[in-house]
Amino acid sequence: MNKENSTNWGVTLLIALGSVLILIPLYMTISIALKNPEEMANSVFSLPIGLHFENFANAIEATNFFGALKNSTIITVVAVGIILLTNSLVSYAIARNMDKFKFYKGLYFYFISALFIPFQIIILPVVKLTTTLQMNNIPGLIILYIVYGLAFNIFVYVGYIRSIPIELEEAATVDGASTYGTFWRVIFPLLAPINATIAILSCLSIWNDFLLPLIILGKPESYTLPLVQYVFQGQFSTDFNLAFASYLLALAPMVIVYLFVQKWIINGITQGAVK
Amino acid sequence: MTKRQAAFYSMTIPALLLFFLLHTYPAIQGIFYSFTNWDGFSEGYRFVGFNNYASLFKDNNVLNSYLFTFKYALVVTILINVLSLLIALGLNSNIKYRNLFRGIYFLPNILGVLIIGYIFNYFFSNVLTQLGDKLGSDVLSVNILGSEKWAWIGVVIVSVWQGIAFNTILYLAGLQTIPKDLYEASNIDGAGKWTTFWKITFPMLAGFFTINMVLALKNGLFVFDQIIALTGGGPGRSTQSIALLIYQGGFQGGEFAYQSANAVIYFIVIIAVSIAQLKFLQRKEM
Amino acid sequence: MRKITSVILVSIILLLALNACGNNTNNNAAGDSGKKVKLEFFQNKVEAKASFDKLVKKFNDANPNIVVTQVNPPDAETVLKTRVSKKDIPDIIGMGATDTFSQLSKAGLFIDFSGDPLTTNLQPVYTETLKKLTGSEQLNGIPYSANASGIIYNKQMFTELGLTIPTTWDELIAVAQKVKDAGKIPFYLTNKDSWTLLVPFNSLSSNIVGINFYDQRKEGTIKFDSPKFREVAEKQLKLLDFGHKDMAGKNYNDGNTAFAKGESAMYLQGVWAIPEILKANPEMQLGVFPFPATNEPANNKVVSGVDTLLTISKNTGHLEEAKKFIAFLQQAENIQAYIDEQKAFSAVKGVNQSDATVQDLKAAFDSGNIVDFSDHYIPSAMKADSIIQSFYQKKNLDAYVKEFDNEWDKVASRK
Repeated sequence: MNKENSTNWGVTLLIALGSVLILIPLYMTISIALKNPEEMANSVFSLPIGLHFENFANAIEATNFFGALKNSTIITVVAVGIILLTNSLVSYAIARNMDKFKFYKGLYFYFISALFIPFQIIILPVVKLTTTLQMNNIPGLIILYIVYGLAFNIFVYVGYIRSIPIELEEAATVDGASTYGTFWRVIFPLLAPINATIAILSCLSIWNDFLLPLIILGKPESYTLPLVQYVFQGQFSTDFNLAFASYLLALAPMVIVYLFVQKWIINGITQGAVK
Repeated sequence: MTKRQAAFYSMTIPALLLFFLLHTYPAIQGIFYSFTNWDGFSEGYRFVGFNNYASLFKDNNVLNSYLFTFKYALVVTILINVLSLLIALGLNSNIKYRNLFRGIYFLPNILGVLIIGYIFNYFFSNVLTQLGDKLGSDVLSVNILGSEKWAWIGVVIVSVWQGIAFNTILYLAGLQTIPKDLYEASNIDGAGKWTTFWKITFPMLAGFFTINMVLALKNGLFVFDQIIALTGGGPGRSTQSIALLIYQGGFQGGEFAYQSANAVIYFIVIIAVSIAQLKFLQRKEM
Repeated sequence: MRKITSVILVSIILLLALNACGNNTNNNAAGDSGKKVKLEFFQNKVEAKASFDKLVKKFNDANPNIVVTQVNPPDAETVLKTRVSKKDIPDIIGMGATDTFSQLSKAGLFIDFSGDPLTTNLQPVYTETLKKLTGSEQLNGIPYSANASGIIYNKQMFTELGLTIPTTWDELIAVAQKVKDAGKIPFYLTNKDSWTLLVPFNSLSSNIVGINFYDQRKEGTIKFDSPKFREVAEKQLKLLDFGHKDMAGKNYNDGNTAFAKGESAMYLQGVWAIPEILKANPEMQLGVFPFPATNEPANNKVVSGVDTLLTISKNTGHLEEAKKFIAFLQQAENIQAYIDEQKAFSAVKGVNQSDATVQDLKAAFDSGNIVDFSDHYIPSAMKADSIIQSFYQKKNLDAYVKEFDNEWDKVASRK
């Protein structure tokens, strides 16, 4: 707030203290994951001197970590990719027609209203339906994410597309481009910032989702990372260090990705918000 | 033009059909079952009219879950918004290592709710209690999640810890949209920091405030994962949220139709709350 | 850019195609995968996964034309109910004799084993238990292993403090008092996990009011608000006097760990906790004695229920192979291996549990002095465990028995 560009040390200190509160639980997680039960018995707070990496080896084996990592990655990457390509297309059709045709306006509100439907009301019918359609597996789960993403994503995309001047498209249409051609050539490139936003939000919510995989996925070999942690609770009841090594492994992939593209992620969300 | 219209239809109709099949149709089925006595797995069921709805209003466990959920959602919404606005203001001022701090504050948002819940569960029961023993504090040395009176505070702490991140980023984005010269003008007028905040910053952030309030409240009303990982709805039923009650009663308790009726009421309540909230906040914005 | 459109179309088609092929694995169509018969064995005990894995492997090796796959999901009962609702019922199911089993039986999902050769060598008490639970003439499951719950005790501490195993309620309280006076913890209580509160509740309820009480409650000839049930409630509260600090904040895992470390003299749990305790401290000298719920030693029965029963879905296309698998599990050496690892008791005659830790229960098993778990007769929608958990905090006895009555009636009225 100051005109002169002097560092505000008071605020820096407060912000630093606040960030310690965020980091403490994460530090504890790492520290507990690296201890063995004897070291734990002495004190929770001691430094993990022993560096017991065997906890990780055991956790990887016990939870079939790499299998779950592969499932989570496939589900997230494929679902997010298709979400970006399809949901933006649907939103484009709605955004460009909702002022002219009641049908599209109705469509817009139909999708948005689904945001208010508690998931619990559809859970059991969905489980029945997915089995009938033979969708109780990873591809089925991906399809559900793509379709359920429509509600929120249309809301975001339509707002953004409506702010793009229509003249740009008209120029392309005059050149004889088809409607699809116009979208892919003119509009889709312009959506880059909002695509980033949607990609990040979808990626986070799908990666960390627990309820849908729990009820849809039947076979243990198709379990995702959060689901595996849930199973893990019962199996290693007295070995907290092993449990924490497993939590850390489950959190690690996302944290590593975040460290590399942190700026891009935060900017992506910021841009989406300002729009 | 008709060719163009055909293209637009081809973009939307498949999405509409899929969405109807996988979302609306199950929702209608859920409403349909709420008028039956189906337990969720038997072959047959009977129609019972509005019986389930009548039973809902006689069931104090339902009332209890609504009271808990609203209490929790309100407290979390207020705490998250106050704290994230303060943090955003801090991050927006002239501080050292701004990007590093921004990165740290956003970190909780990328972590899975369930796993964070497990970590905090251990934290409350073993780490804080040991700390309390060391400090000789009676309050701290007892696991907060084990108390019927205070367990909900534990759930609030975890939700706030994790929820602040996203709203901070949104407020930060809002702060960056405020033109610098407004502040300069305010400085020239000799206005204090407090006045500047209420006269300039807050009104300019009104739109973001609305979004943040609506998002936080909606998340609060749908709370589920944290509670599964922290308390399972206990002690007693003191932290049983509406979503959890529907899940536990409908799936484990074999009362699917009854809890479907609960979900229908829940849906109506959510819609009413959202409309009321938007009306109220948008009037403020004007 | 038409490319992108076609990429999407192709990927959606691919997904659907994947769906179509990916599903042959859980159909029982033996036709398209050679001659192998595929059977799904779904069981709900996390603790038993490894033991069953070994037996399944042994069976598959011995029967090259059958492939049994074990499925052991988290929250198995809930998963099973949802799968039943979508008509996707596993061929062979292993589960406890719980309210869920009785609900699914009544829905007519399982075959009737009455008179089947698989039942010839079973302890009659357990088949009776199943019939009583489902309230039908049919036998919809084959009891496999039985558990027992009582009081796990630290033998070393008992010796040090000169304590003997109590056989009456008063003696139990006296023992607890001695431990307390010696500055040690009598019972390690894990009240944060509500299900663990059912362990002492079952011992008290099954012995004091008996299982028939719940049938009478169903008929409406008796109420929870009665002297007998109040005695159960009073004794539940009494146990809390011999707990420790922050017992409301400790869970099952904490309890297993703390007891293994020798923090308490006794631990109110079932035999299923023993492998977990020994995992934390393999050297531990522990035993289990029957919970003395009353002051008449002869009336104090061990609470024991069917821990795992095996049953077959009516819809399986491979009845013969499924029965073959159950017969294999019943073979003496196999069930012996299973109960040794699980510290459980056999439902098959002539197979004995000789583990030192559970010898104190043997007399009751030999004389048939056992009684079923009360909570298997309480509708799960009531969440009896939550009611008890709340009672442990409020300690209001009147409100507690009334709550039991109210919740029971409410659930019954919604049927």
